[in-house]
Amino acid sequence: MSARVGVEGPVSFWRTYVFSTDHKTIAKQYLAIGLSWAIVGGLLAYLMRWQLAYPETPVPGFGWVPEPHMVTGIIPPEFYNMLVTMHGTIMVFFVAMPILLGAFGNFLIPLMIGAQDMAFPRLNMLSVWTFALSSLVLLISFFVPGGAAAAGWTGYPPLSAKAIYTGVDWGLNLWILALALEFASFLMGGINFLTTTVNLRAPGLSMFRLPLLVWMQITAAVLFMLSVGPLIAGAVMLLLDRVAGTSFYLPEGGGDPLLWQHLFWFFGHPEVYVILLPGLGIILEILPVFSRKPIFGYRPFIYSTIAVGILSFIVWAHHQFLSGMDPRLAMPFSITTILISVPFALMVFAMIATLWRGSIRFPTPMLFTLGTLAVFLIGGLTGIFNGSAPVDIYIHDTYFVVSHFHYTLVAVTFFASFAGLYFWFPKMFGRMMNETLGKIHFWLTFLFFNAVFIPMFLLGAGGMMRRIANPMQYDFLQPLQPMNVFATIASILLLLGQIPFVINFFWSLFAGKVAERNPWQANTLEWTAPSPPPHGNFETVPVVYRGPYEYSHPSVTEDWLPQDRPAVPTAVS
Amino acid sequence: MAKTHIMAAGVETRTATGIPTGKMGVWWFLASEIVLFGGLIGVYIMSRLGSTGWPEMAAHLSVPIGTLNTFVLLTSSLTMVLAFAAVEKGDQKGMRTWLLWTVLLGLTFLVIKAFEWGSEIGAGFPLTAGGFWSFYYTMTGLHALHVLGGVVVNSILFLSALMGLLGRNEHRVELAGLYWHFVDVVWIFLFPLLYLSW
Amino acid sequence: MARERVHPNYVAIWFWLVGLLIVSVGVTYLPIPTRITLFLIFATAVVKAGLVALNYMHLKSERLLIYAMAIVPVAIFFVLWVVLYPDIAIR
Repeated sequence: MSARVGVEGPVSFWRTYVFSTDHKTIAKQYLAIGLSWAIVGGLLAYLMRWQLAYPETPVPGFGWVPEPHMVTGIIPPEFYNMLVTMHGTIMVFFVAMPILLGAFGNFLIPLMIGAQDMAFPRLNMLSVWTFALSSLVLLISFFVPGGAAAAGWTGYPPLSAKAIYTGVDWGLNLWILALALEFASFLMGGINFLTTTVNLRAPGLSMFRLPLLVWMQITAAVLFMLSVGPLIAGAVMLLLDRVAGTSFYLPEGGGDPLLWQHLFWFFGHPEVYVILLPGLGIILEILPVFSRKPIFGYRPFIYSTIAVGILSFIVWAHHQFLSGMDPRLAMPFSITTILISVPFALMVFAMIATLWRGSIRFPTPMLFTLGTLAVFLIGGLTGIFNGSAPVDIYIHDTYFVVSHFHYTLVAVTFFASFAGLYFWFPKMFGRMMNETLGKIHFWLTFLFFNAVFIPMFLLGAGGMMRRIANPMQYDFLQPLQPMNVFATIASILLLLGQIPFVINFFWSLFAGKVAERNPWQANTLEWTAPSPPPHGNFETVPVVYRGPYEYSHPSVTEDWLPQDRPAVPTAVS
Repeated sequence: MAKTHIMAAGVETRTATGIPTGKMGVWWFLASEIVLFGGLIGVYIMSRLGSTGWPEMAAHLSVPIGTLNTFVLLTSSLTMVLAFAAVEKGDQKGMRTWLLWTVLLGLTFLVIKAFEWGSEIGAGFPLTAGGFWSFYYTMTGLHALHVLGGVVVNSILFLSALMGLLGRNEHRVELAGLYWHFVDVVWIFLFPLLYLSW
Repeated sequence: MARERVHPNYVAIWFWLVGLLIVSVGVTYLPIPTRITLFLIFATAVVKAGLVALNYMHLKSERLLIYAMAIVPVAIFFVLWVVLYPDIAIR
């Protein structure tokens, strides 16, 4: 990287790497925080899996955790509740959101629309610093007396509304505070994404020439911004119940625990699409590049995305079929939930049609893309079982649900993110990642992920409940225990399988092959900028002449046609 | 490297829709706030419908003081939009005067609110005095925080204008105004909901 | 920046707002059934909010996208209200 020179002259280290308003640097900051939390979340999973396979035995490598948290390396039930809670909280809010939206959204949106930066660069910097602060608050919550939050990532009262029920006092208060800060951070980010995309597009770039990734990001931003409000209100109320003696959710004071559930899931369901859509956006960019074919059904994709967005606001109570809510709500929410699978099915078919008769290549990004598709398909299909109230009566709160949401969430949070990292690493860092290590990483991840979670469908159907610390305590679960052991061994191998990625990432940062501007011969605007792009991104303002997926166009000899190349004559040679 | 023509002043002033970028940003923010307050108000209404004894509690609110506060906030909306009208006319002094009035009226609202709360708590009705009071303090408190935020923003604008630092950013008065009017609209609904609907 | 905008009479709007405020408070003192009182109070609130939004926030002269940003969130929280009703309002 050349000397840090800004408009006003040399820029200090702090302004370049720490207090930067450049969207690319901010994206990398989100990425760094998100990947760091991913390691923590993975370790928490390791602890959980050990306890499930070998209950009440010391966890290898964790004998140093002091009492009362762990007792000579053994996990007491209270600690297990914390593990479950924090694994979920961290993965959803501190891994998926920062990587998929904070990193990929921030990095790619201005580049893909031909802009110099986001519409509000200083607001962008404030958003990543607010996120960093929320991370710090969550980290501190591990070390306060009573430990970190332990009422589930869903934080249902009454368990969460009174410290005496979980034994966790300040840990849960800090959890609420961390989430509030995180919401504020992504609200700020959402304003930036939406305003930038709508207003700062390059000349010629109509909304229907935008890369689908951008459509997915802005839909996610709209979903987040319009659903988070009631939960912010609800979280304030929960905090007041905990520290100020109110009874918004406590029945003995006239409150209603069900109220929290509605407020939480009213946000919680759109939230999973906030995570899902950017992940799909990533693979939608990679698929055409390595099939050398346009995306099949570009406009139907956009309409499906909008349909998913609208429907996502009216499905939330499918998380509450067994909550004791008004039973008349079960049927409408079952219907809307099954309905929302239709646009997704359309998307999956369209992706397969994109591949059909394409000239397919299989570098690492494409492997992870196909992996995302396969994993997501299973996740989506199993969602239909959960969405139907009569079936859900049996599988709610079992490992069937756990496996369903891991298939959907891990598909986008990990498989799609890895696809995106391998694909855009040259643009972000100016170097190529190692292909061999990438392929090894993919196969280990794909193999062991399925090995961990396929048994969980069976465990769930067999009746194993969620969030229990010791399955061996239940006679009817004991025959299923070998599956728990199998899943645990697979999960350890899955974690170890990430080592090739860590090595590859850091080694390539410093010693990878220097990347050219457009190593994948792709059409979208970010590939016309240098690798990595300088402050301001483009040497001259791009002008757009066509959509983003003109691969194998009949009128050109090459099998790709960038968006910003001036119009070609229609006469074919 | 000749990038000066593109790296001019930092922030893009492009607008593909014709809507000024800053205004669009503020409206996206307001959209999220609409759902926040709308959601909270809905929770209150449903809880009110499902509870008993709340009208007796609400009778302890002072309608005259609430009406006065509503009048204060409505008037501050007028002064805010007059500040913006002054900007459009190029009337610097008028803009500063009306901004100052808006700040003062906003502070008046907060002082009256604090006084109200003080007397209600003194009469034995704190946050924990029952469902109605929990909601009352939470809703008016969240609203008051938003008023405070608006007062801070308007004060910064006023001081910037006073020190001649506002420069070509006078459109920020319109943007601050949008936020301020929104806070007023929330109160337009909170007032009848809490004080009058018994 | 000068925009082609219809410039409402801000002070006249203020008079309407104050007048409606007086009406809404006055209505509570009238010996009419509660339902009608409630309807009138909230109707005046909606009208006042509309006056502020359309005139002070200049929604009257804004483009469709801005309108949508004001209206769509309202529709969304109404969805929440409808679903909360059976669970919270009727115990």
